[in-house]
Amino acid sequence: MWRRSLGAGCRLFGCRSAVPQGIWGSSAVRACSAPVLPALSITALQAMDSWRKHFEERGVPEPEESSHYIMAHLFGAKTIQSVEQGKLTEFLSREETEQMWKLCTRRLSRMPVQYVIEEWDFRDLTLKMRPPVFIPRPETEELVELVLTDLETMCGTEDALDALHTCVEVGCGSGAISLSLLRSRPQLKAIAVDQSQQAVDLTRENALRLGLQDRLQIHHIDVMKDPEAALSLCTRASALVSNPPYLFSEDMSKLEPEILRFEDPSALDGGEDGLNVIKQILTMAPKILSDHGRAYLEVDPRHPSLIQQWVEVNVKELRYVETRHDITGRPRFCILQKRELIQGPRVGSGLRN
Amino acid sequence: MSRLVPLITSVCRGVLWRRGCPGVSPSLNPLPGLTWVPAAGKKDLVDLPVLDEDELEEQFVRGSGPGGQATNKTSNCVVLKHVPTGIVVKCHQTRSVEINRKRARGIMREKLDVAYKGELSELIVKKKESVHKKQEKKKKAHENLERKRLFKEALVTESTHE
Repeated sequence: MWRRSLGAGCRLFGCRSAVPQGIWGSSAVRACSAPVLPALSITALQAMDSWRKHFEERGVPEPEESSHYIMAHLFGAKTIQSVEQGKLTEFLSREETEQMWKLCTRRLSRMPVQYVIEEWDFRDLTLKMRPPVFIPRPETEELVELVLTDLETMCGTEDALDALHTCVEVGCGSGAISLSLLRSRPQLKAIAVDQSQQAVDLTRENALRLGLQDRLQIHHIDVMKDPEAALSLCTRASALVSNPPYLFSEDMSKLEPEILRFEDPSALDGGEDGLNVIKQILTMAPKILSDHGRAYLEVDPRHPSLIQQWVEVNVKELRYVETRHDITGRPRFCILQKRELIQGPRVGSGLRN
Repeated sequence: MSRLVPLITSVCRGVLWRRGCPGVSPSLNPLPGLTWVPAAGKKDLVDLPVLDEDELEEQFVRGSGPGGQATNKTSNCVVLKHVPTGIVVKCHQTRSVEINRKRARGIMREKLDVAYKGELSELIVKKKESVHKKQEKKKKAHENLERKRLFKEALVTESTHE
């Protein structure tokens, strides 16, 4: 290939500079949206810079991060920092250039990076991502930490007692939470359910890729419509975990395009007060959990006190243990525990912490 | 109950500094490689200073909204500040915030080690200097006494010879 400076090839990038505004008007310019492939060879650095500018011009958030993650992925790396520096100044092959353009054009439509590269990391796992299955958020990594810390306290570090522990997850999405728990606790078993068949399929796929399928049962169940189906799966779980849809319905329309256009709204919309699915899960919790078993929920920052009050009145078998905050300092996680059931002639059936 | 208190909230970027984070568990290996293998590598992790979470402030930008499900961002840069020394560590080595947090702590321990060592060698130099100064003082005082003695002797000798 002829080696020319990027400037010489610039005329061929995008339509904006090439099309005289006066004749065609701005709508026509926007209509030819995908930047054309460069005619000349470019380096990875130039490609990233070029796309960062395209993203900026089009108001795509995280313009630099997006171009970096996509390019890194092209090289088989997770981050651009881990790509050998020399590689970034070499010319990209034709195929690499085409692939970069193809993937970045998807990002132009506000497709989340995780869907563009079809994968993302969650703690120490790399998971396959596919729209519209919900993309795990960084806050949820902490939810897993909370559960792991408690499991460790409950049964000591990795001994035989672990074999008796089962964890139930409601709304598994891509499988992030359950698979993370299984990876960290080799003796743990998990049961995961989701109302979306696509989520069930993706979780299954991720479980297979990680070799964790033997310890994970996945079921296609909608706990709102058919809670009994979930209750029949497990009655003595040590832990019930969920990152349920918890957004307020009225907030749905304010979501960024990345979410609105590509992620399953039923994975996000928790109803008018965001508590619909949460309440259902907590109502089911006493039947799923063993005595002293715990429920761990990720929620909206406005929820913890509401949940505490509601549970006190409506789910007496559960004791509200505590609220934990996420890395940004927002109240994010609710921990509840199933009270032990006492039976005896004097007391009758009652509850004890 | 959480000991966490958001210290500063920047209105335009919604950044919250968080003091201490007991939630960070050791269950993830943040530094795969030398420093975690006891036998290999130049520095055993045992030698590095232990972090007190109460002395740390952590920052992770998540926007000014409610975060969580309402936001999907790929930025996962963690900034860790050691308040007593003012040392700041930034980490965005991986695509996991949790792992970046742990790595940031590992790097912080190494930096604190260097900082403390630096202080330590400074102390040693200062001590040597003060010891040297004392010695010099003594030497001079001794020399002065000697000079005076000789002077006196000289006077006495003179007077006896007159």
